[in-house]
Amino acid sequence: MADHRIVSVLIPAVGGQGGGVLSEWIIDAALLAGFPAQSTSIPGVAQRTGSTSYVVEIFTRPRAELNGQEPVFCLFPVPGALDVLLAPELLEVGRAIEAGFASPSRTTIISSTHRLYSIHEKMPAGDAIYPREWLEEAARTFSRRFVSFDALALARANRTEANAVLLGALAATGVMPVGVDSFRKAIEQKGVEVAANLKGFEVGYELVRRGADRPAPAGSVAKASVRPEFAAECAPYPEPLRPIVAEALHRLIDYQDRAYAERYLRRLEPFVAGDHDPYTLGGLVARHLAVWMTYEDAIRVADLKTRAARFRRIETEHRAPAGQLVITDYLKPDLDEIYGILPYRLVRPLAAFAERRWPRGRPTLGQHVKITTVSGFLRVWLLARLRPLRPISYRARHEHALMAEWLGAVEQCLRLDYDLACEVARGAQLVKGYGDVRRRMVAAFRALLDSVLAAAAIDPGAARALAEECRTLVLRGPEGEDAASQTAGRTLERLRRSVAGSVLQRDRLPSD
Amino acid sequence: MGERTFAEDVKQLGYGAGQILQGEGILAITKAVLQSGVSYIGGYPGAPVSHLLDVMGDANEPLLKPMGIYFEASGSEAAAAALLGASLNYPMRGVVTWKSVVGTNVASDALSHVASAGVVGGALIVIGEDYGEGASILQERTHSVALKSSLPLLDPRNSLSAFAHFVEEGFNLSEVCGQPVLFSIRIRAAHMRGTLVCKDNIPPKISMRSRIDHAVFNIEKINLPPFTYAMEAQKFEHRLPAAQRYIHEHGFNEHRPGAEESIGIVMQGGLYNTTARALALLGAADLYGASPVPLLILNAIHPLVPEELCGFLRGKRRVLVVEEGMPNYIEQQLKALAHDERLSVEIHGKDLFGQYGELVPYVVVSGLKKFLTMHEAATVPGADVERRFEALTAHRAKLGAILPTPVAKRPPTFCTGCPERPVFSAMKILRTKQPEVGDTHVSADIGCHSFGTQAPFNVGNTILGYGMGLSSSNAVAPLFGKRVVSVMGDGGFWHNGLTNGVANAVFNKQDSVLVILENFYTSATGQQHNPSTGKNARNEPTTMTIPQALRGLGVTWIKTVNPYRIGEMLGTLRRALTTREGGLKVIIARGECQLERQRRERPLIRKKTERGERVSQPKFGVDPDVCTGDHSCMRVNGCPSLTLRDNPDPLRDDPIAHVDASCVGCGVCGEVAHAAVLCPSFYEVKTISNPGPWERLVGRVRMRVIGALAGA
Repeated sequence: MADHRIVSVLIPAVGGQGGGVLSEWIIDAALLAGFPAQSTSIPGVAQRTGSTSYVVEIFTRPRAELNGQEPVFCLFPVPGALDVLLAPELLEVGRAIEAGFASPSRTTIISSTHRLYSIHEKMPAGDAIYPREWLEEAARTFSRRFVSFDALALARANRTEANAVLLGALAATGVMPVGVDSFRKAIEQKGVEVAANLKGFEVGYELVRRGADRPAPAGSVAKASVRPEFAAECAPYPEPLRPIVAEALHRLIDYQDRAYAERYLRRLEPFVAGDHDPYTLGGLVARHLAVWMTYEDAIRVADLKTRAARFRRIETEHRAPAGQLVITDYLKPDLDEIYGILPYRLVRPLAAFAERRWPRGRPTLGQHVKITTVSGFLRVWLLARLRPLRPISYRARHEHALMAEWLGAVEQCLRLDYDLACEVARGAQLVKGYGDVRRRMVAAFRALLDSVLAAAAIDPGAARALAEECRTLVLRGPEGEDAASQTAGRTLERLRRSVAGSVLQRDRLPSD
Repeated sequence: MGERTFAEDVKQLGYGAGQILQGEGILAITKAVLQSGVSYIGGYPGAPVSHLLDVMGDANEPLLKPMGIYFEASGSEAAAAALLGASLNYPMRGVVTWKSVVGTNVASDALSHVASAGVVGGALIVIGEDYGEGASILQERTHSVALKSSLPLLDPRNSLSAFAHFVEEGFNLSEVCGQPVLFSIRIRAAHMRGTLVCKDNIPPKISMRSRIDHAVFNIEKINLPPFTYAMEAQKFEHRLPAAQRYIHEHGFNEHRPGAEESIGIVMQGGLYNTTARALALLGAADLYGASPVPLLILNAIHPLVPEELCGFLRGKRRVLVVEEGMPNYIEQQLKALAHDERLSVEIHGKDLFGQYGELVPYVVVSGLKKFLTMHEAATVPGADVERRFEALTAHRAKLGAILPTPVAKRPPTFCTGCPERPVFSAMKILRTKQPEVGDTHVSADIGCHSFGTQAPFNVGNTILGYGMGLSSSNAVAPLFGKRVVSVMGDGGFWHNGLTNGVANAVFNKQDSVLVILENFYTSATGQQHNPSTGKNARNEPTTMTIPQALRGLGVTWIKTVNPYRIGEMLGTLRRALTTREGGLKVIIARGECQLERQRRERPLIRKKTERGERVSQPKFGVDPDVCTGDHSCMRVNGCPSLTLRDNPDPLRDDPIAHVDASCVGCGVCGEVAHAAVLCPSFYEVKTISNPGPWERLVGRVRMRVIGALAGA
């Protein structure tokens, strides 16, 4: 009896991932191989994409030897006594580890590396994705062996399902008492998409058997390369900046013209000249300025929507020639975006009126454009031809003034504190979105500049912390924007009070 | 019907003696019901017992009808409980099922009456105890209902053969004691897969093929005084004692003696598997459940049998009660019994496990460790228990260092393509863009649409019960500064909302807005049929409609909207909230449950494509260079197929929106971007399979022209 044990498997899945079928294959394989086994699940609201889990237990003593005795199976995975954590998605590995299920001395973790993002990772305006490195580190620490690979990508490449690939991987680890053939038989017995699932099984099995499952260590992404056409032009720039500047030049010429790109270089110049290795500030300004100078006005959107490259991309994604695709674009520019592309002098009175008349949410022009028809395409394509008007447009005046304000603030801060200047440069990350969203983000950005500059005059260190905090808060979404303005208010008041306090003290000094 | 097909299960339900059934716990229960000679079956769907009704629906034609068994999916749990009235006067067996504790609450009026009058035919109520992990409802256990109505309550050990055995014995028990019997099954047990050795099905003596001729009148069965006093006396003088005798004589509860004399463990049958595993992990049992510690497994937790309990307690120094939920009725009864009998035994339970929550393995292992190490037991050395517990849990200390912030939560949400999602998108857009109207109190309800209260919408201020959305706003509406909204699904509407909601609101002249999400099924529990489906559970056509029912109650402001057109939905909401017309205003957001629709249409589309017919399939996309990564779309949509990807732009960091391959082309993302004026990144692509020659030609010409104009 001592040599017999119960092997327990937990499949933490996301509703709709086929965790149920995976658990059925495992239990069927165990029963085919003659072992007593039991499975259960918490489907709960499984089909509705929440977390869901399946548990399988297999007794390692064949039924034939039991003489009527029955092992007692548990309906729950037991924290610390789990043999296999088989996860079709990486975040769920983290969740199972967090609940204490995986143990370094016992558990084999087999996981697909792909992610299905939770709504809480998707909603914030910035990057709120749970760090993959943490999840992978946890899986390594809390397992005897960590097997991981992108099962979804493998499945797509082989026209099969990810759960079949994972089953193959499980079979190859040798942690189950069940032989490989029993798994194959289980797939055949189920009788659903047998050929495709067997193929997937073999792919996973081979991968793990060859030991080709090691995840690429983080940070091994090839070093950013310099666009060759701009290599010569970028040579005078410090090495870390070259790929950024080359990318920026490409982007700006594509957006407007050569002169516009040169304007960019002139603006960037002071931030590079005054910088030093590793050129953090220069890099930040170079990146954000390039993105900002190529702001997405109606002309830009029309241009991007009517490019041959776009049609090629969609053809590839949908595996059909463009002639068999009907593409409809959902366009709804608001009044700002429409008059934004017209000459400044012409629309200034209109803009002033619109801002007063519709302070929140301007009128819009909604249209569904069938861009794969000649008339639909022409409508958008002709809009893109307005590019020469851009430099004198209302929007250009507006955007460049704001950019100048930002660069001025960075420069001003640089005189006080390098890190503060970097943080202010990073603030430009907030300038994004369209219509109302962009107006809101720009407002948040200006509020950030104002409060940080005011704070910097008193305490540059505190100002840097404030800038970072406000940026992080605003990136959390609309609720964060209110929190940011409150934080700024509180910090400024605290700083002002402390200044007032120290002034009082200094005033008192002579009389002491 | 339903989201799963049960052809294989139906086949197994027809098995005869000696055949081996393979399937889930609930299937074994269903089979045992047919082996018990029932005349009627009813219930209301809800996890974890929906399967019983689903599979019976599919079994109706091939199996139930030929046996003359009446089957219905009842209008509510109350209607299901009232079915048991058939067993009051007539010696026929019946079974009903629902999700507990909520279903029991709905049923309790009828249930109390049946329990008072008593039954002559065996009546079994299979309750799916939706408690603990994975539960979708508030956390209460059903035990108290059994106590107050004097209903025997079975909570059997988790194995398919135990389930079948106690279903059959449940009917016997019911007939012997004259009370309906509650049979409780937990979520994991309902979904547990195992095997069962079958018996032959027994056709009922009274059936639709052999009907009752004479009505039985027995005034003593009428729930009116003075008979109600006699019924109460009967319960305690005859029925419960009869139940105790039967439970004892037929060995419902299992006493497993052990070598260790001074201690013992009493547990609910449903907790036996976890307890046995915990004992094994602590070195106090083997994997077959054999333990030196004496065990008493209570497969019947009401009524308890004092002789059995006293026999177990006598001579022991300490006894542990493994009991789930509060109040701890078993522990209390044991303590009272020990006191009455002057037994000097210490009784532990909630003091070691904590008062509330599901008894999951970690809780049970921790409690057992405390119990086993209180005093040295000869056969279970405390040091050994400590060492094993340490080995099991030591790794938990390191967790905080490796996962510094909690792993992101994954709340359930509307499926890809769900017609209910856009309703909440519209409500959130209205709340943001026009707060003076849209930022108001919303009474939510139970059903898939309760996900509207979750991220990213957070629309809905209360959830107070099934079909109670509207009635729960009745005291808010007259006292709130803006017109309020309530939400209800078609399931909830037909269950309870029609009377307690609409009739009540019209009667009381409520001025508010009701949004009914009509998706033609009771979807949250697996697309069971309801009156909006147009077919009942037996697949017979029905003709009830929501607008007709509303008009019948005197509602005049009724608008039916296609929820996928968010602009229209938004406009209708705004009109309902601002119109001068008083009274109840009802918006019916009508769109078929997408899961059901995909299940039906996918195979058809595949077949059509294979046959070479023209098929146009829509999907949505996001232009990666147009998306600026502000994720506004996520905050008013939350579609699972609308997700993130790394920004392909080397100059930007934040991830951008992306529509993945699971998109069903419902168009909500584009409509949301449009209605909320978000961005121009969304586009729809219709892929035409097998286009005709003319279409092919036009397509080629168009692309030639476009190709000539388009740049790189």
